[in-house]
Formats: sequence, C-alpha cells, structure tokens
Amino acid sequence: MIVLATRDSKAASAHIRPKEEFNFFQDTRVRSAFYQILTVLIVGWGIWYLISNTTHNLDRLGMNTGFGFLSSTAGFDTDFKLIEYEPGVGTYWRIFLVGALNTLLVSILAIIASTILGFIVGVLRLSNNWLVARLSLVYVELVRNTPLLLQIIFWYVGVFSVLPRVKNSFDLSGGAGVLIINNRGLYGGWPVPGDLFWITTATFIASVIGTFFLVRWARKRRDNLGLQFPIVKASLALLVIPSTVVFLLTGSPMSWDIPTLQGFNFVGGFTLPPAFLALLVALVAYHAAHLAEAVRAGILSVNRGQTDAAKSIGLSPNRIMSLVVIPQAMRSIMPPMISLWMNVVKNSTLAVAIGYGDLVALFMQTALNQAGYAIEMVGMTMAFYMTISLLISWVLNIYNKRVQLVER
Amino acid sequence: MGIVNATKTPARSAPLSEGSVLGWLRINLFSSVANTILTVVALYIIFLLVRGIWVWGIQEAVWSAESRRECFKISKEGACWAGVINWLDSIFYGRYPREEIWRINVGGLLLVLWMAPLWIPRVKGKVIIGLTTVFLYPFLAGYFFSGGEKGIFMQVMVSAAIVCLVAITIHAALGFFANSSLLQFLLRITGADKSSEKNQRNVLLGLLAAAFIGVFVWQMSWQFESVTWTKWGGLFLTFVISGIGIAFALPGGIILALGRRSKLPVIKVLSTTFIELFRSVPLITVLFMATTMFPLFMPDGFAINKLVQVIIAVCLFNACYMAEVVRAGLQAIPKGQEEGAYTIGLGYWGTMGLIIMPQALKVMIPNIVGSFIGILKDTTLVSIIGLFDILGMLRAISEDVFWRGLHHEPLLFGAALFFILCFAMSKYSRHLEAKLSTDHKD
Repeated sequence: MIVLATRDSKAASAHIRPKEEFNFFQDTRVRSAFYQILTVLIVGWGIWYLISNTTHNLDRLGMNTGFGFLSSTAGFDTDFKLIEYEPGVGTYWRIFLVGALNTLLVSILAIIASTILGFIVGVLRLSNNWLVARLSLVYVELVRNTPLLLQIIFWYVGVFSVLPRVKNSFDLSGGAGVLIINNRGLYGGWPVPGDLFWITTATFIASVIGTFFLVRWARKRRDNLGLQFPIVKASLALLVIPSTVVFLLTGSPMSWDIPTLQGFNFVGGFTLPPAFLALLVALVAYHAAHLAEAVRAGILSVNRGQTDAAKSIGLSPNRIMSLVVIPQAMRSIMPPMISLWMNVVKNSTLAVAIGYGDLVALFMQTALNQAGYAIEMVGMTMAFYMTISLLISWVLNIYNKRVQLVER
Repeated sequence: MGIVNATKTPARSAPLSEGSVLGWLRINLFSSVANTILTVVALYIIFLLVRGIWVWGIQEAVWSAESRRECFKISKEGACWAGVINWLDSIFYGRYPREEIWRINVGGLLLVLWMAPLWIPRVKGKVIIGLTTVFLYPFLAGYFFSGGEKGIFMQVMVSAAIVCLVAITIHAALGFFANSSLLQFLLRITGADKSSEKNQRNVLLGLLAAAFIGVFVWQMSWQFESVTWTKWGGLFLTFVISGIGIAFALPGGIILALGRRSKLPVIKVLSTTFIELFRSVPLITVLFMATTMFPLFMPDGFAINKLVQVIIAVCLFNACYMAEVVRAGLQAIPKGQEEGAYTIGLGYWGTMGLIIMPQALKVMIPNIVGSFIGILKDTTLVSIIGLFDILGMLRAISEDVFWRGLHHEPLLFGAALFFILCFAMSKYSRHLEAKLSTDHKD
C-alpha cells in the first residue's frame, strides 16, 4: 500500500484515508480557534476592566491627563545636567531630556569601562599564575553574590562621600591640578579649542578616511596576494602623526579650562558629583565581574583542537590568540556581553537611591511627585528603556546573523 | 654516515613535578619573570587587604558600646560593630513587636520541617510535598506573621495546612526510620490494609476528615495578636518578598515559556509581548508603576497595600525573566523527544509534563538557581520605594540618634550576609547539577 502511495500519492491517499468524520469537539482546528478566541476574550476583558477602572478613578480624583504638561515649566533643580536647564524656566520635556542624557552618559561610560575591565579579569581568571587566578575569582564571586544596590550605596556613602573636604582636596594628576577629587566630586580640566583648531580637526577627519581606505587596500592585497601588511601600526601612525604635526605647526591652538579653588569650591573645567562617580564605579565593578565569567566561558568553549591545529601550522602564541581563539570565543561571548550592556542601562536606574539625576530619578520620581500625570510619565520612561533595549537587541541580532556558524 | 658522540651526554635534571611543594610553586607561581612579578604584586595586594581588614575589622574593632561616640572613645581606628550588634534584631525582623518575634522564627522552622522530607531520599511523594509547600504553607506562614482575626477562608486554609504539616512530618519520619509511608501505616493500624481499594480510600478520607475537623475546632480556640505589614521589615521582609517571588516565578515562567513556544499564534504573540515588555524595562520602573498606577487600576473602594503591590510587581517581573530561562532549557531538548512522545500517543500536556519538562528542568538548574539568587538580590530594590527590607534597615542605622553616620559596618554586614546566602545557593546548584547529570563523564 505504502509503495503504491509513493507512485501515485494523490489517488492512493484518497483511497487509503478513511472517510473523514468531522467531529466538532475533536477537531484540532476548532479547538485551537476556540482556545485562542477564549484567550483574546479574557485578555481583552482584563484590559477593558483596567482601563475603565482607571478612567473612572481619574475622573473621581479629578486628575488631569494628556501630554500638555510637557510644555509647562518645572520648578525643581538638579545639580548635574549636560544641557541648559533652569528651574522655573525649563519645561518638563526639558527635564525628560536632562534625565535621558544623564542616563545615557553614565551607561555609555560604564559599558566601555566594564567591557575593558571584564575582558582583563576574564583573561586573568585563566592565568596560569595560581595566585592571580584565585584573586580574580575572589573578586568575581564577591561582587556577583552581593546586591548591586548595596554596592552602589556602599560606594556612595562609604567611599565617595567620606573623601577629604574641598580644602584638603586630593590631586589625582600629581600636582598638575588637572584632576582633583574631594567629597564634592571629581573636578577635571576641560580642553578649550582655539581659533585655528579646525585645521587639526580637518586633518584628523582626513586621516580617519585615509585609514579606512588603507585597511581596505591591505585586506584586498592580503586576500589576493597573501601578503601581510602591518595594519595596526600603520593606521595608528596615520591617525596620530599628521594630526599632531598640524596641531604643533598651527601653534597648539588649545587651552585648558582648569578647575581653580574660588571661595569654598572649585570653578571651571568639568565636575562629576560623588553620586555619579559612585554609580559609575559600582556599575563597572559589578558588570565587569559578570562579563569576566562570560569571557572565561567563551575562551574555554573554543575547542582545544583549534589551538593544537594552529600550533601545528606554526602560528605564534600571539597569533593563535588573535586569529584563532578570540574570533571563535567572541561568538559565545557576544550574546551575554550585549545583554550585559542592556543590564548596565537598566541598572543605571538604581541611581535613584543615591540621588543622581537619571531619567527615573528626575522624571519618574521628582517630576511625578510634583506634577502628577502618573500614566504619561511612567509610560514615557518605560518607552525610553524599551527603545534602548530594542536597539541593543537589534544590534545583537545583526551580529548573530553575521557570525553564525553555517551548519549543514 | 652517523653521528658519533665521543662524550657521554650529561644527564638532564628531572622534570618539575606538581607533586612536590617546590615544583608546584615553580609551575604555578614563578614560571617566568612576568609571572613572578604578578605573584609578588598579588601577594602585596592580599597582604594589604588582609592587614586592613584584620586591623580595622577585628583588632581595633569595638564590639560593645552604647553609641557611636562611645565607640570613638574606645578606638578611633577600628570598626564599630557595636552598632550592628545593637540593631541585630531590627536587621533581621524590622519593627516587628519584640515579644512576637518567635512567630517569625516558628514560621521559618515550619518551612524547614515542611521541606526537609524533600531531601530525604527514602521518602516518597516528593512532588505532592513540594506542591503543598507552594499552595498550603504560605497560608499558615501568612497567618503566623500577620495574625489577627481569622476569616472563615483563613480558618479553613490554616487548618488544612496544619493537617498537611503533621501528615508530612509523620510520613517523613516513617519513611526515614521504617522505610514505610503514612498511607501504609494508617491502613495497617486501622486494619484496612487487606480490604478492597474502595474501602481503603474511604477509610483514608474518613481519617482525613476527622483530622481536619479536629484541627479546625482546635484552631478556633486560639488566635495571634495582629501585626500589620507596616511593622514587617529587615531580612524577614526580604525573605517574604523574594520567597513569594521565587515560588511564583517558576510556575509563571513555565506557563509563559510554553505560551511563547505555542503553535497557537494568538497565545504566542500575547506571551511574547508580555515577556518582552517586562524584560525590556528596569525593575525599579515596574515597582514605581506598581505603587503609582495599581491604585488607579483598582475598582472603587478596593485598596491594596504597598506590600501587595510590590509583591505583584516582583512576581510578574521575575516570571518573565524565568520564562526566558525555561525557554532556553526547552530549546536544549532535541525535537525528537517531542515527536517521540506524540508518536506513543501522549497529548500536549502529557508530552510537556512527562517528557520535555523533566529533561528541560534538569538542564536549567544552574540558570534557575541563578535567577533565584537574582530575585533575592533584586528584592533590595524595594527599599527605594520605602519598604524597610534588610537594606532599608541597614541604612536606618546611620540615621539613628545614637549611631548617626555609621555607614560602613552595617553595609559590610549586609554584604557578608547576602554573600553567604547567594554563594551557598550557587554552590548547592553546582552540586545538584553534578548529582543529576546523566552525561558521560570524561
């Protein structure tokens, strides 16, 4: 029968299949449609119930709704902002921007620093020096097994708030006065470009473009002729030398705005408040420890045969690492690393516990307490984080598609 | 043409062996110049850390004093552990009335008693014991912790829980000492072990009903003094919130994960949206949402307190995270298992419950425990929205009149406490993973 079916499957299967009895309660299509409609009804009813309760409650409490509040002025100030904002002049929309930028600033800095530190610690975990490997293990376990919030608070009240007072400030730059730290924060010099600085900028942009083409040329040459070219050294030279020469030739058109002690505080340069420093350091330490584990697992996941094979064709240990092990390890390091980046952004909201003005602290807490508009503000804040999460996972998907092993 | 050596080749020294102490040191610490430098630097760091901790934390520390000022009088260089010791009760129990604290301890002990049989290999019926822990124990514990007038519902649940606890304890003891079970024991003493199955069931149900009625009548004779949730705090509150979060996260996560992998498009889309919505926002925004928007969602005259709001938020949030852990575990199971289960005639729930989930859960143990640790750590966030969990209590010490400004010691104590809890959990999960592993060891 089965052999027949393959020869003339349509006709045969029509013979073989028993007469279909349509049973309404046993049919899978009917059942799945029923379950789905039931789910939609329950969920729809739930949402409708919540919405009707909410509108009723809003009416009853006489609360205003709508996004009109965004253009009304906010009356509170915040000590750390990247864009102009004046209490009583700036709007709630401005507050949203200030908070969002603060969140992005601390997140981006923390992502960069924790990625670097995480890779270093991850490699140290695999060091053949027993003591170093153990020491990094202790760091990783200590940091991973205590709550991040507790760490942030510890860095804030336990470290950055008990630094010397302004008078006895500590100079991190060894007497040059460029980087000063005290219990009010970190004060640093800020470069101020002069009139002719645009020439240096232009040169630098030109060398970046030049490097791009150089790398492309070198790759093509390597692929076609098999000749190596010192790409890293050459591009570094191309990036640094022309800009430096032009900078010096135009007469070093750059001055430093250095923080100076005026009265009771430092003025000039940039200032990072203790809350910012505590949040940054805690985020970096915490996520670096998590990343270190991912890096370690990633390197260990590379098959030993790969290293052996690379050795046998005569690659040097450095090239084995950079050409064979790291590229393959990256495939398994990248996904946890990117979700860690996402966690950095999300965990930066713990700033609210130590008074750093991030989006949640400014918009979801202070502004919400002052103006009401709970639904709009909560919605906007959540939408912000969702957008960032979507962006980051989009990048991850692109990367995953590029490096995925092509399997049979 | 051969190579002839006139002189004898000098003997090479024996290779370094890891067996001897010196050999181990040479290989692991001083194998090269760079390694030696690293070792010396590491030793110096360890020396500084250990000396600092020793001098500050133990040698110069003050263990008993009445206030921070007194601490300073005794020692300026050392830690003031006296503040932590004075506040120990508050750190563990918050502002719970001191004379009622035994209720929390007993509630905790009951949980240990309830769950201990799960670790005794000879005891049977572990699934039922586990389920009752999730569905009956919370009512008993809840009444122990909050007390007050028992409603009729609470009376029924508390009685059921007590009957269940007694049954489990006897069952576990019988299993441990006599390798028997409660059912066999009951049937034997009533002499019904030889009669028909139906008869046996009736006897057991009768005994159960009698026990329940007995306990129900007994529990009407006593009640605990009411303690409102605002008095709950410290490590106790952290355990309550994270415990409920953990108990809800796994079943909730399994349901959401199954929904996400469902073949029914509507259920799939809804589960995916729900999971991704919660996973893409920070927990603190969910907590703020719970405290500002839940009151708006409720119908007129129906108010839920802050603790319940927070618990709902924590449960939903963690269920979504757990869903992704479960999904990863489900993906690790080869498709052949599912197809095989369908071929032998199992339906959807049979396939999932008997074939896929047991295998998947085993794969997921490290990640599940990792999530549990995460829940425990994340619970500290409730201190931001004004609940006095352990972190809230630790910070309150520095605002106490006598201990103003005492920051380091409480926070370090809390960190040590969390470290012990979380580290023990993760070590246990490794042990469990190794025990349950059926892979070939290499």
